[in-house]
Formats: sequence, structure tokens, C-alpha cells
Amino acid sequence: MATVELNHISKSFGAVKAVDDVSFTVEPGEIFGLLGPNGAGKTTAIRVLLDIFKPDSGTVSILGGVMDESKKNRVGYMPEERGLYQDIPLERCLIYLATLKGMSQAEARLRAGEYLERFDLAQDKKKKVKELSKGMQQKAQLIVTLMHQPEMLIVDEPFSGLDPVNTQMVKDLLKEQRDRGVTILMSTHQMHQVEELCDRLVLIDRGRTVLYGGLDDISLQFSGHAVKVRTQDTLPTLPGVEKVERNNSAYRLSLAPSATAQDVLRELVEYGITVEQFEIATPTLDEIFIRVVTGNSGEEGGAG
Amino acid sequence: MSKLWRIAWHEYGRHVFTRRFMLILLSVPALVLVVIGLVLIVIYMETDSQPLGYVDQSGILADPIPAPPVSWPERAVALVAYSTEVLARTALDAEEIQGYYVLPEDYLQTGQAELTYYEEPKGSSRGQFLEFIAVNLLASQPAEVASRIIDGTTIIVRSEDGSREASEEIFMDILMPFFSGLIFFFALSTSSGYLLSAVVEEKENRTMEILVTSVSPGQLMVGKIVGNIAVGFTQLLAWIGFIALGVTIGGKWFPFLRGVQIPWSSLGVMMMVMIPAFIMICALMAAVGATVTEASEGQQVMGIFTIPLYIPYMLITLLMDSPNSPLAVGLSFFPLTAPLTVAIRAGFTVIPVWQILVSMGILTASALGALWLAGRAFRLGMLRYGKRLRWKELFAPARGRQAYG
Repeated sequence: MATVELNHISKSFGAVKAVDDVSFTVEPGEIFGLLGPNGAGKTTAIRVLLDIFKPDSGTVSILGGVMDESKKNRVGYMPEERGLYQDIPLERCLIYLATLKGMSQAEARLRAGEYLERFDLAQDKKKKVKELSKGMQQKAQLIVTLMHQPEMLIVDEPFSGLDPVNTQMVKDLLKEQRDRGVTILMSTHQMHQVEELCDRLVLIDRGRTVLYGGLDDISLQFSGHAVKVRTQDTLPTLPGVEKVERNNSAYRLSLAPSATAQDVLRELVEYGITVEQFEIATPTLDEIFIRVVTGNSGEEGGAG
Repeated sequence: MSKLWRIAWHEYGRHVFTRRFMLILLSVPALVLVVIGLVLIVIYMETDSQPLGYVDQSGILADPIPAPPVSWPERAVALVAYSTEVLARTALDAEEIQGYYVLPEDYLQTGQAELTYYEEPKGSSRGQFLEFIAVNLLASQPAEVASRIIDGTTIIVRSEDGSREASEEIFMDILMPFFSGLIFFFALSTSSGYLLSAVVEEKENRTMEILVTSVSPGQLMVGKIVGNIAVGFTQLLAWIGFIALGVTIGGKWFPFLRGVQIPWSSLGVMMMVMIPAFIMICALMAAVGATVTEASEGQQVMGIFTIPLYIPYMLITLLMDSPNSPLAVGLSFFPLTAPLTVAIRAGFTVIPVWQILVSMGILTASALGALWLAGRAFRLGMLRYGKRLRWKELFAPARGRQAYG
């Protein structure tokens, strides 16, 4: 049974249709990417999912049914608009927000201590939140999201404002949560993070689903019929190759419909070319994103 | 502890356990102490401890009974007898006395005495001499008669139904509802102000989105209202405690404080009106907080509700003169002016029961309406960042809901 299931949800604000017939599922224990340009409807979809907004049509199921008060304790949410009480000490802020997720005061204090230690914030626990740097507040926000050990995490742009060291720490943390069986829905603009972390994704543009599926399937779907070859030698004219694009020592070879990658590799060996790298040319997620969003792609992923 | 109580306790703790709140609490007793201190200094300065002389030609002070003792801070003035006016004048010129009285032979017939001075003796000195004369004139009378005459007359004004009375000594009972109303409103301002800022702050610092995915909007709103009302009541009780302490201690020196009694019936009437008023104002403040995007904007909108609250104080002379006039009754029935109008009227008249019931009913209905409005404003406005919720949206039919239903 899927952890999250959105079925044909639509949501309008006045004349603006923020989400238009979007459907997707998030499976247990996976990291699922929710992608889209600014204003695509990602945050609205998350708010509908969390029952902050009611959809105009469609149904939402989370953790086996409709959202209710008891399920709020089982979900950890880090909104895009970060928010912490600025005028109270960090530790008190963490404990209070954790108790609102159903933890006892004592349990919350203990857990806050562990997380503060782990996130290297233990020495700052008595400082007021407003006295912390942006990066430290970002880490504190993550602690709030994780402290009550939720079964499902919804993180909106988890890497914004983090330096490379802390970005790596958050990535490790998300992987660790996934390994513990936590289901993660991550909304981000950073495509390389999605490529590294996500198993599946949905891309929303102007409120509609434009791409949905496994990362590998999508890459293949957009790969076209080409190979990438890296060599220091000069390439001869190869049968079955229609077009050659060179970028330093790398070549992108567009193949004729009748040719296969295997044919090209054989030809290269026969010509005695020293091949340093040979692979099916697949576009990066960044490229796919741009192609889909700017409408350069002739094909669309099916709306799940 | 349920989430609602955690929210209430959080709201309570973040305001009450602060240095700022302690200063606000202590400001009232500090003010009372300053006022008492000033009064004592004025009384002390009003007495001149230099002796006052007298020349008794009438013979009534031949074997004088001493003047009754005076209590601090008033200073006792020694009264010195001189056999002749010449001797008294010499003492005055030598600045040994502040002045002298001459009681002529026919004093008992005329009641006229003559006071000679360079600088007029203070009222306290003259008062002590007059009491000295009175005590001696009544020396031959039975003690009860003497005491009765010295104490003078006491006029007691009673209401028709006998439930209320006031006199020169128990006039504080008239003012008690008035002052209680004032203190109540200071506490109300604190609570409602905190509530307004609490709601706006969570929008400003973006904690709202985390909160609404942890608790229900109802729990959040009610928890905030309960917590901040408790802050106001803490202030109220502390101030009442300080004032009671001040009255008890001050009563040792100020006779008018000795007769102060808590007018339970008037206070009871006030509480019946004030409690729904308190909830109504707090809910309105929460609604304002939910509609605006910044605390400063909220303060401006808050004025729309707080200014009418104080209109009865602006009309206080009219309400004191005619506490049962149509204006007074009308103001008692308008939700925003009712609380203070009833408080003022309770001091000066016996408000008919039906009027109290109508006022209470209107305020209770208004409080419920304000809570409904606050809940709606909260649901519609909680995630509006940078864009104010318009009031007409609040009253629009619940079509195309944007948030919790």
C-alpha cells in the first residue's frame, strides 16, 4: 500500500488554477522527488497532501487514509518558508515544537540533547534562535522535523542555505532515514541532489503533471539514440553514425535508426581507437527539466 | 498534557516568566508606594512642630486636659500657656512659638478668640488647638456625649432597596467598581495585546505552517486565547493583591482606608459583564492578528476596537450625574462600551437586574460571534504571507474554501 496517494487533485485560488488534476503515489521507504519550476504548484500540492488546504476535487490518502489529528504526529514537515520562534532559547523552542508532535516533555528534552549534539549545536542551545546563523537555524529546523521520529518526512527545499559540508550532512541524514524505512517526499530545485537521492519523481509545471516515474526510466525516455565516446584519438567516419558533436576529448555520436551502440563499439575497436569512455548518452535531469519546462521536449511523461 | 494546554502554557510562560512582565507587575505597587509616600510627605510638611501659645482670660483652660494625641505623620504641636499677652508676644518675637491665641473673658458667650502670628500657623497646628479647646469645653460632660459631639455628624446615603450605602468614611466603596474596572481594562489590554502579537508573530516568523501540521487550528486558537487570558488574569490578581495589601497597611494611617470594604455585589455584577467582554476583545484581537501581516499593522487596526472601550470614561461626568439615563442604559447595551459603563454605573446606582441580564446576553452573544470570527479569520488568514486578509472575505459565504473547513 502506498504511503501517499494523490488522485486527480485540483485546487484553485480565485481564477488561478494552482494544481490541475495531479496524481502520484509515494511508496513506503522511498525518497520521492517533487519537482517543478517556481509557481508550478508544488507547495500547494504539499499543503493539500497535509490537509492544510482542501482540494476542490480529487482524493488524498496518507499513511493509509485521510489526514487526521493522530497522523500529524507521524509526519515530519519542513516547509519551504522556514519558521522558528525567534525570541526563545533554541532548546526550549525544539522541546515545545516536539511536544506538539505528541512527545512528552522529558522525552523531547532527551531527544533534543541528542540531536543538538549531532548537529553540532549543543553549545548554542541556550542562545535565542535569532542569535543563530542562517545555517544553524536551518539545522535547527531539520531537528524539529526529525525529533519525533516520523514515519514520513516531507521536506521542501532541504538544501537551501546550506554550505557543502552541511549539504552532505543533510544528504546522509535523508539516506539514513530512508534506510530506517522512513518514506521521504522531497521538493527541490537542485536536480543533482534528486539524481543522487531520489528513486522516483514527479515533475509539475503550471499545476499539471508533465513527468512521472522512476529516475532511470525517465533518463532512458529522454536519452534519444546516441552514444558518448571519450578518446584522445581522432575519430574516423563510422558507418551508422549520422552526426558527430565534439566537446574537447568527448564525442556525442548520433546514430542512424538501423545502427546500435554495439555496432559502433565494434567499429571503434576495429579501427584501433583507444576508447577511454563509452556510454549511452542520457541527458542529465537538469537538461530534462529544462527541456520539459521550456517545452523543447516533444514528449511528455504520462501523468500517473 | 493535551496539545491545547501545552500551547496555553507556552503562551503563558513566554510572557509571564520574563523580566519585562515582572516590571509591569511591580509598576503598580511601586506607583502606589510613591503616591502614599508623597501623601505622607505632604501631611508631614503641613505640620509645624514649633509650639503654639495661648493666653486664657476666660478661665476655661485654668486646669487644662491635654489635647488628644495625633498620629504619624502628623506632628504633635506643644501648646504653651502664657499668663499675659505681653509674655506671649515676647515669645512670638523671639520665635519660640509660631503664634498665640487669646481667649477673652467673654469667650464662652461670643465663641470668638484672637490669633496673633507673623506667618499664619499651618492647618494642623490650628486644628490641634481647636481640639484642645473642644476637649476642655466638654470636660464636664459624660464621656459618651463628649465623644459624640467631637466626632460630629455622619451622613449615610442609602439606596432605595437598602443594598448600597455611602458616607464620608465609606466613600471608597463608590470608587471601588470604578477602579476595579480600570484595573480590569489594563489587564485586558495586556492579554489582548499579547494575543494579537502572538498570532501575527507566528505568521511573521513562519512557524504557523509547522504548527498547523502539528495541531488543529481550533487547538491552536483556543490554546492561545486561554494562555493569554491567563496572563491578563495573573496581572489582575497580582495588582488586586498589591492594592489589598496597600489598603490594609495604609489603613493604619489613613482613616478613609479603614472603612474600605469589598463591594461584592457590585464586583459580581461587573464580573458577569467583564468576563464575556474579556473573551470578546481577546477573540477580536486574535481575528485582527490573523488578518494582518505585520504586528505594526495590527496595532493600528486594534485601535478601532480599543477606542470605543474607553468612551464611557470620556463621558464619566454624565454617567455619574445620571447613571440611569437613556444614554447610560444605551451604552450598557453596546458590546464595546458595556463593560466600562456597567462598572461606572455599578458605583453610583443600583443597576436594574433586567439591564444586567440584557447586557450580559449581548456580550455573551458578541463573545461567541467574535470567537467564530477569530476562528474563520485564522483559518483563512493563517498562511497569508505578505497579503492582508480583507474583512469582506471573512463574511463571504464559505465558498471555495482555502483552508480548514
